[in-house]
Amino acid sequence: MNRRTEKEVLGDVTRMVREVIAEEWAKDVAIAMETSFAKDLELESIEFVALAEHIRAEYGKHVNLAGWLATMDLEHILSLRVGQLVEFIVRCDSLPMTE
Amino acid sequence: MRFATDDGVELHVEELGAGPPVIMLHGLLVGNMTTWYFTAAPDLARTHRVILFDLRGHGLSERAPTGYDVDRMTGDLTSVVHRLTDEPVVLVGHSYGALIALTFALRHPDRVRKLVLIEAPLPPSRLEELRAFMYGSPDEMLEALPDALRDAFRSGRRQGARLADGIRFLARESSLLRDLSSAEDVPDEELAALGCPLLAVYGTQSSCRPVGARLERVVPGALLVELGGGHFLPLDAPRALTDVMTRFIDA
Repeated sequence: MNRRTEKEVLGDVTRMVREVIAEEWAKDVAIAMETSFAKDLELESIEFVALAEHIRAEYGKHVNLAGWLATMDLEHILSLRVGQLVEFIVRCDSLPMTE
Repeated sequence: MRFATDDGVELHVEELGAGPPVIMLHGLLVGNMTTWYFTAAPDLARTHRVILFDLRGHGLSERAPTGYDVDRMTGDLTSVVHRLTDEPVVLVGHSYGALIALTFALRHPDRVRKLVLIEAPLPPSRLEELRAFMYGSPDEMLEALPDALRDAFRSGRRQGARLADGIRFLARESSLLRDLSSAEDVPDEELAALGCPLLAVYGTQSSCRPVGARLERVVPGALLVELGGGHFLPLDAPRALTDVMTRFIDA
């Protein structure tokens, strides 16, 4: 299995965030592990849903973002940083496929 | 995913989990699928196939200029159901989404296994958002919003600006308010004929609260639960609402 490194996943997530925002300023906005989705990128919650769809299309269903979100309350979700998502994806990616 | 309704409006649809299908509808103006996506949906998705969609003009669905009446929006729900499942579904709706769910259940009794109405406004003129947005001052409009959204507006940040833009479109550039003002009540005898188990959930501080008592009185076997909170119960009491829905759906 082709496991992705944290750096690769951060690159993927950065590209997907820019696609989801789809505004001029986002094309070259700096996105790092400590970037906050809500505070720094001012991502709307519906855009977070769109990002989750991109992530599923990219990595497949075994990156179960919805299941992960189910463990958090809304405030926690809104305070998420890019790095937490990246680490979650890397963690899922290192697990054996179930389907 | 995106697909078009039978009248050609593109809807944004999302699915979570696997199991018996549950379709969840949000309320108008400030609602979209995040009402459920970040509250009850992930929990229900552990044991169900949860289908969420943004109502026309809301969230990431197409900004349709017209078609916000109960009939047309029930048609949108019908398109979603037919497209995605042959099984009877559990329908969950908040506010105007509850009215759409109820209308669908009355028209297609064979397609609905259970019905959850949260803060269904009957008659629709009870809708707090509608009253505030049609007749209120800007301050009254803000007061009608849940705290989190009001804070987003006042923050001056991008999220608030986008929320305001969405509401401006719906309230000023679409037929939504006009369509709603002509919406009619569902008569008691129609409610009494509802053929599936009903859970009605209302907030103790909501102006819609008396509707819950009416549903309990009129619909045979209806289960009424009142939770601490206002009209925006999915935001005011997410944990308690998820628990009461899960118990009803799994029973």
